[in-house]
Amino acid sequence: MADEFMKGLAIATASGLIWIVLAGWYNTPGFEETQLLGADPADPSALEAIALIVKEGLFWFMILGALTFWVVLPAAREARARLAN
Amino acid sequence: MAEDNDSEPIADGSGTGIVAPDDETPTWSERKERTQGLSRLTYEYFERARREDQDLRMESDYVERDVLGFPAWPHEMIRNFALTSFFVGLILFLSATLPPHIGPPADPSTTPEIILPDWYLYWSFGLLKLGPLNPELSILGGEKLMADRTYGVVANIVVVGFIAMVPFLNKGSARRPVEQPFWAGIGVMGVAFAFTIAALSVKNLLPMDSHLLFDLTFLIPPVLGLISYTVFRAMQEGYMYSLNRRYYRLRPPK
Repeated sequence: MADEFMKGLAIATASGLIWIVLAGWYNTPGFEETQLLGADPADPSALEAIALIVKEGLFWFMILGALTFWVVLPAAREARARLAN
Repeated sequence: MAEDNDSEPIADGSGTGIVAPDDETPTWSERKERTQGLSRLTYEYFERARREDQDLRMESDYVERDVLGFPAWPHEMIRNFALTSFFVGLILFLSATLPPHIGPPADPSTTPEIILPDWYLYWSFGLLKLGPLNPELSILGGEKLMADRTYGVVANIVVVGFIAMVPFLNKGSARRPVEQPFWAGIGVMGVAFAFTIAALSVKNLLPMDSHLLFDLTFLIPPVLGLISYTVFRAMQEGYMYSLNRRYYRLRPPK
């Protein structure tokens, strides 16, 4: 049980760390302006386009990965134990 | 307890995971004799609890070890070095990938539009805005006893004094909030008040009627404290039940 929590936490923190770096690079127009949630750069280069896709993917991986290990898997295990009884 | 109790029964969960029988534990034949009435009910109750515990231990992969502690070198030092390296590495990584913003130099000749203390002092800044609570005393002919700004400073002393007093009111022997719901409620109230008074300190920045915000500042903390008190109070019975169950599983009553 503790392992499941740790897996979810590791996914959430690691992908969140990379997400915050990419968002700081590409979605932060300035320190005094919108931070991390700014508009995507218009006309991105190939590298920037890849980074934006990775950022989007990591964002959902952060949420869905943690949810999987904290909610979905324990619930499935619980349900299976209930059904077995 | 028998006198020839030379070997201490191991009941810390190590070994097979099954509580070793000592001279207080009924043998299996003794258990089978309890076939009716209250003794049967008691037997089933504790047997089921023991069985549940055994199942939990069988499906767990956690390994308990009979170790009191680890030597500082190398075990603890390696762990500390790993933790230190992790955080230093995190700082290096973040400072390399997200270099800090260096703003223009401060201009001493202009006053900024918004003057605020650092965020962790917002609660104290909020206490300076308690003017509406400063009573106009009829005994003084409708005058206030002290100026609003003095009142705010005194409010700081009151809050700090209350926090300093709490350890003398309750030493905090509870290890979980559910064990002392009242003091947990007090704590939740204090934490909530720290946030609401901090919100009050930046009332001109919040998109909200400032009178409503002032009322909510003092209404939300007791409500949250009351809610947490009732929740912990409701949890207490179940908590005590499982605690007692664990206790009597290790030391079954005769």
